[in-house]
Amino acid sequence: MTPLIDVVQVSIDGVMTGSGYALLALGFTLMFGVMRRLNLSFGAALMLGAYAAGWLHLHAGFGALAVAATTVVVATLAGVYIERLCFAPLRGRDAIASLVSSFAVWMQLEELATLMLPRHTNAFPALMDGDPFLFGPFHVRPDQIVMLVIAVALMLLVWLTLHRTRAGLALRVLADQPGAALAVGIDIRSTALMTFAAASALGGIAAFLILAGDRQVTPMFGMWATTKGLIAMMLGGLGSIPGAVVGGLALGLIEAHAQWRLGPQGRDLLAYALLFLCLVWRPGGLFGQTLADTEATARARL
Amino acid sequence: MSDAAISVLTNIGMISFVGLSAWVLLTVGCVSFGQQAFFGLGAYAAGIGTAVWQWPLLLALPFGALVGALAAALLGAMTLRLHGLYFSIATFAFAECCRIGFELFSYRTTRDGEPIGPDGVEGFGEIRAVFEAGFTATDQLTLVWLLLALAVSLLIAVERTRHGIRARMVGEDPVAAALHGVDVAHVRLAAATVAGALAGLGGGLYAHLTTYIEPRLFDAMLGVHALAYGLIGGLGTAIGPVLGAALDIGLLESTRWFSGSRMIVFGGLVAVLIILRPRGLLDEAAVRRIANLFHARARPRHG
Repeated sequence: MTPLIDVVQVSIDGVMTGSGYALLALGFTLMFGVMRRLNLSFGAALMLGAYAAGWLHLHAGFGALAVAATTVVVATLAGVYIERLCFAPLRGRDAIASLVSSFAVWMQLEELATLMLPRHTNAFPALMDGDPFLFGPFHVRPDQIVMLVIAVALMLLVWLTLHRTRAGLALRVLADQPGAALAVGIDIRSTALMTFAAASALGGIAAFLILAGDRQVTPMFGMWATTKGLIAMMLGGLGSIPGAVVGGLALGLIEAHAQWRLGPQGRDLLAYALLFLCLVWRPGGLFGQTLADTEATARARL
Repeated sequence: MSDAAISVLTNIGMISFVGLSAWVLLTVGCVSFGQQAFFGLGAYAAGIGTAVWQWPLLLALPFGALVGALAAALLGAMTLRLHGLYFSIATFAFAECCRIGFELFSYRTTRDGEPIGPDGVEGFGEIRAVFEAGFTATDQLTLVWLLLALAVSLLIAVERTRHGIRARMVGEDPVAAALHGVDVAHVRLAAATVAGALAGLGGGLYAHLTTYIEPRLFDAMLGVHALAYGLIGGLGTAIGPVLGAALDIGLLESTRWFSGSRMIVFGGLVAVLIILRPRGLLDEAAVRRIANLFHARARPRHG
């Protein structure tokens, strides 16, 4: 293989991984867009879902579809629990209070998950077996294609829900003009709860697709999902849906190339350094608002 | 005291430094998820000082604090203008970069024919200066708690000065503080530097008393615990984070009551306390009430 073929193959893999990141970032961005709050235990909720599903796979022989359903349902329940404990009682308080509180709940969910399956690696059912498709010199795994298709479909679904339904309209009003939302009688409590449930369900699907590709789940998954989603969202811009998609794909591409050239530690170092530099130089991200705008809206909300 | 109790108390003392470090930033209104980076930098710097460069401990510990302070000042200069959430995430990203940096950092030499020095993910062992100096476990406990008491007393003393009042003003409301002529950026940078020095000093102690450090000790969980100690213990006084560390390490980690579910208890405790007591157990009001008790005793009320 010539180097150019390598570059293209690595890029294809990067886009496939990136579609998973984009889904995680989409969940983050939905919650941030509505609440202007970061839910750091997002990854831990997905991990709990995956562990519950993994437990049923191990002890009750659940197949891929049942595992997918369990992951989504448990992740959604965990998301609702997080909203009730860390976000609903702290509405109107500083954004930081919820941030710290959600990190505390992260520890709870993660320990709960590892109590279920104490081993370091736990089997996770594959979505499908089969030989990679060949496109000329390039190969793509079928489950990667499924992930990409589902990711694109879910992004469209989220966009349509936000822009073509009443619930989506309520959500956007709440995000843009919380005062107006109150005035026209939008129920903030239930809309916020619905958003968290939807974002966690979305994350649950992402978690299932990613873990089915890996065929295993480890205790590192919670941290992994939170940081990847966070970095992808920050790269694309806080609260922007196209930004989440572009940020996820960009992160996938960058990581794939960094792993190829620099190894796994270089990849992680680059991802965190990118997040740091992105925050210091362009806190709004590629597609986000500028810092001044964000601060102005933040102050208006307080 | 039993050996186990001494080791738990020493541990509480050492981890209190990183809690105190996060607490200093909390009092000026900055929530850092990254103080473990300076704890780690201090640990590596002081460890290299004695084990590789053969410095005396009395030089290596301040060196660890200095490295922590410089790194924190540098990070602060880059990030302190960021707003709330952005600052927290930036400190987290920085600390993770440091942790991976420790994994990539090797600096090996030989001493007495044995290889010594940090060795990437393998960690950094044989930091034996304290043991070679003949410190007993009780001596170590005394050393840690003397330094901690010194740090806490200094912070309490600073609270009473003009600088302390400025810091509290910035923490309370940075806009109002700026309107009163307080240089917010300057106060926050000073607080970040002090916080870095405290974490660095604690890291140096940790490296010498455990004789072995490795990169994954300085992961995000340490930073979050440090932050939680201040939030549980209270933002009203520098004793707060020490109380928080004592509750977590003394009550949850070291007793068997909650074995296997420590994080579930601790995480729930933090989440509920943030709702019920936003500024911790020893918040400003509680501190004032306790101070009044002492005043009342000194000057009995007339009538």
